[in-house]
Amino acid sequence: MRKSITVLLTVAALALPIADATAATRATTKKIVVSKRFTGSVTSVDRWGDLQVTIVVRKTTTITGTKKRVTRKITAVSVPTYPNHTDRSIYINQTALPILKAEALRAQSANINMVSGATDSSDAFAQSLQSAILKAKHA
Amino acid sequence: MSVAVHELPGIRRVEQIMGLPVVVDVRDDDEAGPALDQLFDWLRWVDATFSTFKEDSEISRINRGDLRRKDAHSDVRQVLDRCDRLRDETDGYFDMRTPNGSIDPAGLVKGWAVDRAAAILDGSGLHNYAVSAGGDMRVLGRAIPDLAWRVGIQHPLDRQQVAAVVETTDLAIATSGAYARGDHVWNPHSGRAPSGILSVTIVGRELGTADPYATAAFAMGPERAPHWTARLVGHEAMTILADETVFKTGGFPDE
Repeated sequence: MRKSITVLLTVAALALPIADATAATRATTKKIVVSKRFTGSVTSVDRWGDLQVTIVVRKTTTITGTKKRVTRKITAVSVPTYPNHTDRSIYINQTALPILKAEALRAQSANINMVSGATDSSDAFAQSLQSAILKAKHA
Repeated sequence: MSVAVHELPGIRRVEQIMGLPVVVDVRDDDEAGPALDQLFDWLRWVDATFSTFKEDSEISRINRGDLRRKDAHSDVRQVLDRCDRLRDETDGYFDMRTPNGSIDPAGLVKGWAVDRAAAILDGSGLHNYAVSAGGDMRVLGRAIPDLAWRVGIQHPLDRQQVAAVVETTDLAIATSGAYARGDHVWNPHSGRAPSGILSVTIVGRELGTADPYATAAFAMGPERAPHWTARLVGHEAMTILADETVFKTGGFPDE
């Protein structure tokens, strides 16, 4: 079994003024996030071939004072091995296996030409768009 | 900007049609003015023919019983037939029948009209363009000779940011979500707006399929949408859930 382990350790102390004499006695919150990849065993699918599934589980341990809370979440599922010995089984598996990558939402600012988003019918948006295009034209 | 663009090639035009800002951005050096005139004439005809907000549109006349579906314009019959097939392809989640019993094919019309608009540009010998109707688009070729089109997928919680960037020379891209103008997509099975899901982006060959698929997948909600989109042939998808989990199909073409 293949395992790759990433450990992220964050200590988020409560925001307190350094001069506050009571600070040392206040509880701090400690968060430990560990993501592990788990690769399942290779399973034979009747006579068609082998199938293997990999998942990534994110375990979050939150410690506040003496209280400890653990949550686990599957953040990614992939199928590295699946029956593909004929064109037909490749086709069937591409259409039948729900191959999904899961990740956390993040924001990027990037050099882009167009934006795809949910419909906005407001004139303000159209005007802003038009001015942006004109700016780009004269940039 | 990593690329200094002093003067973009081509021509850009924006008009408000079908209640949406339509952006046409042509990057070919060829004269594109007449093609753009033809393209916007086409979109205005589509609006006049299909809008449920216009009393004399064919769709309004069909809904009033003044026009039989089989007597409608061939484009209208084609669109309504395609809506029927889309209902089957999406397990009923794309449905042009409104709760009050009338029909509104708007969920297909926009993408279908953009595909035909792109065909007008193709027919005029243009090879580098983007046609976007309210954030759903068809792009072809390159933005500048050295650079493919880079399309940002809007971040549903922070509209100044993008959640992904797709770089492409030939693709239709559609995003459906509730964040821009409130709940305008409902689940036809429950009659309610889906919850727990922020947006679905579908990419494929035709906007006339990608856009209705995005609408349907969004209506399916957070449990069904990622799995339904993973099974689509010829399409890739990105689904953003309310808990900020992003599901992408294996071949989603972001960088």
